[in-house]
Amino acid sequence: MDYFKIAQSVIEQATAEAAEAEAYIAIGSQTNIQVQRGEVEKLSRAGSKGLGIRVIREGKMGYAYTSDFSASSVQRATTAALTLADVADADEYRTLPEPRPLPEADLQIYDPAIATLPTEAKVDFALRMETAALQADPRVVMTNRATYLDGIATVYLVNSKGFSGSYDSTFAGAYLMAMAADENDRGVAFGLGVATKWAEISAEKIGQEAGERAAKLLGGQPIPTQEASIVYAPFAAAGLLGALSQALTAEAMQRNRSFLQGKMGQDVAADVVTFLDNALLPGGMASRPFDAEGNPSSATRLINEGVLQAVLYDAYTANRDGTDSTGNAGRMSHRHAPFLTASNFYLQPGQQTPEEVIAGVDKGLYVVNTMNTHSINPVSGDYSVSAQGFWIEEGQLGQPVNNVTIAIPLDKLLLNVTAVANDLIFLPFGGSIGSPTFRVDGVMIGGT
Amino acid sequence: MIPIETVQKVLAAALKNGADLAELYLEDKDTLSLTLDDGRLEQATQGNDMGGGVRVFYGNTATYAYTDDLSEKALLEAAQAAAAAARGTNEARVTIDLTRRESGLLFPVQRPFDQMSAADKATILRQMDQAARAYHPAVTQVRASYNQTSRRVWIYNSEGVWAEDDREIIELVGVVTAQKGDVRQTMVGAIGGQMGLELLDRDPVAAIEDAAASAVLMLDSRPAPAGEMTVVINNGWGGVLFHEACGHCMEADFITQGLSAYAGLVGERVGPDFLTAVDDGTIPGRRGSIRFDDEGTPSQRTVLIENGILKEYMWDLTEARRMGRDSTGNGRRQSFRHMPMPRMTNTFIAAGPHDPEEIIRSVKKGLYAKKLGGGQVEIGRGDYVFAVVEGWLIEDGKLTAPVRGATLVGNGPDTLRQIDMIGTDEALDGGRGMCGKGQSARVSVGQPTVRVPKLTVGGTDREMTGMMR
Repeated sequence: MDYFKIAQSVIEQATAEAAEAEAYIAIGSQTNIQVQRGEVEKLSRAGSKGLGIRVIREGKMGYAYTSDFSASSVQRATTAALTLADVADADEYRTLPEPRPLPEADLQIYDPAIATLPTEAKVDFALRMETAALQADPRVVMTNRATYLDGIATVYLVNSKGFSGSYDSTFAGAYLMAMAADENDRGVAFGLGVATKWAEISAEKIGQEAGERAAKLLGGQPIPTQEASIVYAPFAAAGLLGALSQALTAEAMQRNRSFLQGKMGQDVAADVVTFLDNALLPGGMASRPFDAEGNPSSATRLINEGVLQAVLYDAYTANRDGTDSTGNAGRMSHRHAPFLTASNFYLQPGQQTPEEVIAGVDKGLYVVNTMNTHSINPVSGDYSVSAQGFWIEEGQLGQPVNNVTIAIPLDKLLLNVTAVANDLIFLPFGGSIGSPTFRVDGVMIGGT
Repeated sequence: MIPIETVQKVLAAALKNGADLAELYLEDKDTLSLTLDDGRLEQATQGNDMGGGVRVFYGNTATYAYTDDLSEKALLEAAQAAAAAARGTNEARVTIDLTRRESGLLFPVQRPFDQMSAADKATILRQMDQAARAYHPAVTQVRASYNQTSRRVWIYNSEGVWAEDDREIIELVGVVTAQKGDVRQTMVGAIGGQMGLELLDRDPVAAIEDAAASAVLMLDSRPAPAGEMTVVINNGWGGVLFHEACGHCMEADFITQGLSAYAGLVGERVGPDFLTAVDDGTIPGRRGSIRFDDEGTPSQRTVLIENGILKEYMWDLTEARRMGRDSTGNGRRQSFRHMPMPRMTNTFIAAGPHDPEEIIRSVKKGLYAKKLGGGQVEIGRGDYVFAVVEGWLIEDGKLTAPVRGATLVGNGPDTLRQIDMIGTDEALDGGRGMCGKGQSARVSVGQPTVRVPKLTVGGTDREMTGMMR
């Protein structure tokens, strides 16, 4: 099937109706394998396809989607998008971008091994991950939902301004729940890893981390309510940084929905804090040559040594501010119109090791897991989540802590970062979010 | 949707290698969504998603192959792909007698979605926007969305099951942002249901005005206190408490392997004798309701806890087969691209004996969780959290000062044992719950006003904790 031809037919039909048009086609295949006690429990494999059609007529936008690529279905969907456009309000800033040169970069986002590997190898990965969790500690009693999943996708994008492009991408990932138990306590911990390439995920590492964390947190109790320093492990910070990235979009700034609004050029964070968004990061889970509207991917330094110097743009918000898109249009699927979002968003790592950061804390909490990060509010800056971890006393990790809350307003959190370690890892929590271990002072721990 | 002869051929092909059970699932989904933001109707999206999948069970394993091509050829290929790994000793059956199951449940649609134009639906969003902005000068931003989903499903299996369901869901959501100086607050107000345009009779403007009122109120709120205290949780959407504290722990896929904190406790006392909790997929008008689940099992009202005694869990076919018992009709899936798993439907604590006003009066010093956000749970120990987006300090039995967002932490089994007052004011939420468990499902939550003597509150304010050290 000639997908460019299908996309072109959409453009022709729409331009005949005096509209700008964009056709997005995603073709893919996915594998999902769940194991338990050394056996496959669930195995799912399939291909999928979808077409998303965006039209803009006199500044009014309509969107329609289908997975039926017959000529009649494509025509109906295009007509539906045009009809819906009339329902929208006109907006002079709503246009499709002109094609711009794309960066030459080896993004390393496609691994042919994922397509050619036999299913048995993937089943074996999941089984090794389960075994690694069970062997991580004698107190690990079982695993649940031990899952390997991968996907191969090709994206095609064509618009009426002359843009036409496609790229292939892959991902492979695995996760599981490991439960540890002793006479007094039990608890479950998650392990997770995901990458664009098969060789970059390690079954043993994911399983071992989950098993070790579950076992080491046994016996965790709340500590007395107090203000203290927090050291975040990357796994515990990724959700927080994902929420933060939403406050750094031009849309949030333009629409009064960011706690950082009006602070461009100001010191909004400690000097050790630099945040970047990079859609050209080699091997990045969100890397791609062009964004969901066809604008070139780029790297943007958002907060530089504490100073807010840039935000993320798509075509619409860039038009509003009279600037260029930073190539940050994303798309959840062909069923959704593009939206402004971070790509690979991360806190720049520092020089210290995580052990050195912990060793520098006199009294504090080393947080290895948090819950309810979807409650973090990038508009108000409210931040209050539950935490699990280990008490730090004179730089040493001590007893496990559980069932406490940690809270601090986000603007204060940024200013209170006092150390950033060198162990940057990327996790899929609210996007492709990268965090090293880092320390924040002055956090309120809610306990007994 | 497809000829019954094709269904039989597909099921027979799926059984070729001696599988125990084969299932064909078909789905046809239409959606329309409109979003107004920053004063403009900006997004208008519609589309269709249609496809199906063949699932083959053998022993404790199930394989699944899905496709968006519903031709006989593509479905037979899916059946072959799913059957390829199956190794069983069952005889392949040539014909399967399919008997259409009828459901006695009525989920009436009085006014189908196509009776109102998209333009008129957009007008309702404009009314919501204007009302929210007019509510108070501190309102600086409004987003209002309309969403309608028509999801038709067909399920057939080699034991003769043939079930169909048609779920019409309509939702209106408003997000209001208010600002005073450098302080910003947002609040969500939503109504939704499984019905037609008659939802619009429920005054969407009132829902967004309520969100505006909350957002403005929170501008003058204090930070919530930090530490342990008595918490009273509001009725309706307050049911997020039970959903997180217990609901997930009672899904059979966390039970049968012994993972959940509630595994092996059927017949045990888990709460006071005035606590009864239910998962009920049969309630008309609710977004979590289903006539049949996505495996063709009729939905039902399942009493999870009765007078404080744990009675039952929520089952799908996979876990029910594992234990040699019946499914409770909780096998749901997000789409034809997903395999089912046990999911909640409409899950709530039933009315108790206490006067809701007396519950608040009974608290000397504590927190009233008037509006909740979402929550999360760790199911091994049953530790859960939920967010309070509008809270009030309770001092000497009276609501005294509004407090800003804080996460509340508790342990499910402990919370249930601790609950000491349950109000008479049972209610379900207004229609906005989305539950995530690797895939998403529409649900309702609910409860009466409930008092929990001791929960940990995650605010930033030390003063109100009354802790001496």
